Amino acid sequence: MTRLSGGLIDRSRSLNFTFDGRKLAGHPGDTLASALLANDVRLMGRSFKYHRPRGLIAAGSEEPNALVELRGGARQEPNTRATVAELFDGLDARSQNRIGSLRFDLLGVNDLLSPFFAAGFYYKTFMWPKAFWEKLYEPAIRRAAGLGSLSMQADPDPYDKGFLHCDLLVIGGGAAGLAAAQAAARSGARVILADEDFRLGGRLLAETHLLDDAPAAGWVSGVEEELASLPNLRIMRRTTVFGAFDHGIYGAVERVADHLPEPGDKPRQTLWRITAKRAILAAGAVERHIPFANNDRPGIMLAGAMRAFANRWAVSPAARVAIFTNNDDGHRTAIDLAAKGVDIAGVIDSRDNVTTMGSYPIFAGGVVSDAKGRLGLTKIEVTQNGRSQWIECGALGVSGGWNPNLHLASHHRGRPVWDEALQSFVPAKDGPPGLIVAGAANGQGSTAAALRSGAEAAVQALGELGITGALPDLPQAEDVVSKPHALWHVPGKGRAWVDFQNDVTVKDIKLAHQENMRPVEHLKRWTTLGMATDQGKTANVTALAIMSELTGKPIPETGTTIFRPPYSGVSLSVLGGGNTAGHFRPRRLTPTHHWAEAQGAVFVEVGPWMRAQYFPRPGETHWRQTVDREVLATREGVGICDVTTLGKVDVQGADAGEFLNRLYCNGMKTLKTGMVRYGLMLREDGIAWDDGTCARLAEDHYVVTTTTAQAGPVYRHMEFARQCLWPEMDVQLISTTDAWAQVSVAGPNARRLLERIVDEGVDISNEAFPFMACKGLTICGGLRARLFRISFSGELAYEVAVPTRYGNALMQRLIEIGADLGATPYGTEALGALRIEKGHAAGNELNGQTSPQMLGMGRMVSTKKDSIGAVMSRREGLAADTRRLVGLQPVDSAQPVLAGMHLFTDSAAQNTETDQGWITSACYSPHVGSAIGLGFLARGDERMGEVITGANPLDQQQVALRVVSPHFVDPDGGRLRD
Amino acid sequence: MTDLTPITALGASAPADQHFGPLRISENADMALASLALRRTADMPAPMGLELPAPGKWSQGQGVAAFWTGPDQWMIEAETRAAEDFAAELASHAPGCSITEQTDAWTVFEIASDRGDAPIRALMEKLVNIDTGSFGPGSATRTGLHHLSVFLVRRAEDRLAVMTMRSMARDLWHVLQETARRLKGEPA
Repeated sequence: MTRLSGGLIDRSRSLNFTFDGRKLAGHPGDTLASALLANDVRLMGRSFKYHRPRGLIAAGSEEPNALVELRGGARQEPNTRATVAELFDGLDARSQNRIGSLRFDLLGVNDLLSPFFAAGFYYKTFMWPKAFWEKLYEPAIRRAAGLGSLSMQADPDPYDKGFLHCDLLVIGGGAAGLAAAQAAARSGARVILADEDFRLGGRLLAETHLLDDAPAAGWVSGVEEELASLPNLRIMRRTTVFGAFDHGIYGAVERVADHLPEPGDKPRQTLWRITAKRAILAAGAVERHIPFANNDRPGIMLAGAMRAFANRWAVSPAARVAIFTNNDDGHRTAIDLAAKGVDIAGVIDSRDNVTTMGSYPIFAGGVVSDAKGRLGLTKIEVTQNGRSQWIECGALGVSGGWNPNLHLASHHRGRPVWDEALQSFVPAKDGPPGLIVAGAANGQGSTAAALRSGAEAAVQALGELGITGALPDLPQAEDVVSKPHALWHVPGKGRAWVDFQNDVTVKDIKLAHQENMRPVEHLKRWTTLGMATDQGKTANVTALAIMSELTGKPIPETGTTIFRPPYSGVSLSVLGGGNTAGHFRPRRLTPTHHWAEAQGAVFVEVGPWMRAQYFPRPGETHWRQTVDREVLATREGVGICDVTTLGKVDVQGADAGEFLNRLYCNGMKTLKTGMVRYGLMLREDGIAWDDGTCARLAEDHYVVTTTTAQAGPVYRHMEFARQCLWPEMDVQLISTTDAWAQVSVAGPNARRLLERIVDEGVDISNEAFPFMACKGLTICGGLRARLFRISFSGELAYEVAVPTRYGNALMQRLIEIGADLGATPYGTEALGALRIEKGHAAGNELNGQTSPQMLGMGRMVSTKKDSIGAVMSRREGLAADTRRLVGLQPVDSAQPVLAGMHLFTDSAAQNTETDQGWITSACYSPHVGSAIGLGFLARGDERMGEVITGANPLDQQQVALRVVSPHFVDPDGGRLRD
Repeated sequence: MTDLTPITALGASAPADQHFGPLRISENADMALASLALRRTADMPAPMGLELPAPGKWSQGQGVAAFWTGPDQWMIEAETRAAEDFAAELASHAPGCSITEQTDAWTVFEIASDRGDAPIRALMEKLVNIDTGSFGPGSATRTGLHHLSVFLVRRAEDRLAVMTMRSMARDLWHVLQETARRLKGEPA
């Protein structure tokens, strides 16, 4: 087929592309679909179930059939509609869903087996043997019924996201959309015009109507030029508005670089979140076809699409074509194609008494009842007045009327309303607030009506916003409305396709009716009608009408079809907004991260933080060697660890003490200035929630710490208490977690080391700065710092805080000047081992199931004052729980202790009834010389010395454990106070 | 003067500073920050001559500036004073207020355009769900940016400051770089 005359393609340049390896050429302005037609390719794919040869149905995003794979390698992209793939030089496209070549697909055998694949066949077959489903049936069905294939490689292209705000969002750049945008933009309002096509104009580009005696494309260019000059209007081409969400937010995907071989510097696609005060849906309409026997032959397409291909892209699917219509619109296709020199075999119009509108044969009151040409249409059977005849043609345009493209208007469950006059559903009045539907999407399908309704919608929308707009001078345009004759399918024996993409036929709908799958929701699930990538854009209404015929109820009583986002397929990559791999979520780095990295530290994710887990030294071949060394170095010399990640909250105000008294179960108001106290927070239900320390820096100023994991939630809880529970209190809060780098200096040499960095005149002797003291001071020549004498390890220990920018240097300094004292950096593994050895509760013990009593902190819950959770912690159910925190040590020191093991008495059966508790934390203790654990054991405090069993039924492990004090190190706490 | 050498939030000895077409993004490591919260009994202060701004706003004085961060709460900025104990000084100018040092709690990136406001707006559109049309000079807000919590301050038509928690500086810098780089090729 050679090109027709005219069209909106640039014939001065050629673009080379391949289809199934064949080298072909097209022009700028082509889609893959139009370029394939121009190269005589009618067969473009195989159908989903029966592997029937298929060609184009449509010319736009509603296309159900011509799904292709684009690009190769990691960029391979399945299920792209050839009708929306903009042609570029070097495009590599392949047909899909076939074994062998497209012409001789081995799975075409499915077509012969079609009686077995009727509606609901999934549910009726493959029932037994059950074991065959996963291994045999499912893989076989997937292979046979899949569409495209995935590359199984990561998408190499960048994706982006963004946010836009406007007074008016116009969705669709056809007649109605352009008129709306023009009217709105002239008023000075902030307007966004989005259109899925790469060229504005919508249906105007596909028609030969004149606007004010000139071709429509000229008017479009004029408007485009005006809009481009207005700074308050933003045109977004290649942008599909795919969903209407809450509060005037619309989701849109801009295909920034889909029309380029590789995106280069650009993102491949951008996900836009558009917040619009008002929106106009001017998405046009989608033509419907009329099912008849074998209506899926390649070459049978929508008449409006055929006209679009001829007028916009200057191609016809064949040299001789016929039209099957139930309304006047089909005749337009015949007229336009005839004008371009295409031979019109005839217009078969189901309406009686129609006459030809041009110089083509007319078959009034006729229908197309069958078609031949397996790989491409060769002839159609026309039945008229009870007589049938075969007519030769290479393509057939079918026009069954138009369905308004009202999808977005039903995204908030607005149910479309049946319009008897238009024989179609029109948008409901209860669509998304702020969304006005205009043009063909609202049933205003003539060009004049579309232009008018678009402009009026804009003026109305602006009026609602208090902006005065005026109707622009609209061009004179055709204003013909054709009511289609209600012909929903041509009865007959052969298979007549309703949903091309899912291979659903009229017979399938009949079967669903027969099997009582009559509500549309059941019909959809039973037959898969309306599913997959096109979501039934060309099928749903027709199917409903057929069901209505079968039930004998009018269409609106049979049901409606509504839509959810997305309007058309949206890739997961663009929904992810480009956040992949290491950038999937933010990572917080500690102040000493760079130093630790230089030391070769191994890092571990702790919530959002990256913390040093341990610091391997040359020669250490196992992490345990490293951790044991770090633990021992701390117990014998001095260990240094970055503990910045613990949450820090600055609490000030006259009522700061009282405020903390109410949050912590123990007293904080009585804490002396210059001292620190361990604190436990309870949930309202009396369960232990978070622990930390409160340091009183001044009468009205505390700094509290939280666990790393709960820093955010505790801060939120504190703000809730301040703002909502006790707004009368004078308390001010702010997080200072990031403001201060805090390092723990622990071990018998800790004080000696710190004495080397504190400035002259600062006394940190045991007498001047005892256990649990805190103060502000200066170190390293005048740097402001805070010192806290607190210990998590059971050793003489301090935490020193400096402005974060100095944290890295402080760590480096401490290690350098403490070399002779054994100064050793330690990571979270050693930190964990040290605290387990000391019997300190941490996240594993504060797991949301444990009470203060269980933790051995029952007496901390003050009865002298009230605090959140205090009353509930004394309730019967909690008070009766006898489980207590204990230490556990294997009788045979070579045996392991595992967190998660459950505890049983030696000889008892092991089940939930005899369960006596569980191990919360475990580690190897270099101090003890064996694995040790902490756990909760029934009456644990009374069972010291008893031998029990730790069971790990998953690995059939049984370990004899001795119950000991949880304090494996220095139970009297002498070292802390030394 | 301490003999410890500070590093920037990105772990370098000098602040980051890079040009991307019309945009220049530079890390402002020298600015001191302190939060100021009114106590119940306190009168509205005017520390260092600063008029504390209304919600959503930023105001500028002599070498100091402030933006609203919550009811009765502001962040005070002091140019080039990061090395000092600015919080202590501010406290002396705001009796009856709760002052907390915030200098190193945040990392601040100053973004300047040499082609007017359009590049700033284009950058914002890619980063934050804020209507650039109603976020003119003197605006300030807290919002989300690529899963980061940030403060934005529109210092001028052609200048925007973005700040996030210091521990997340690397991620913010990466996002700003990537976005500015992509915009470079696009018309401002």
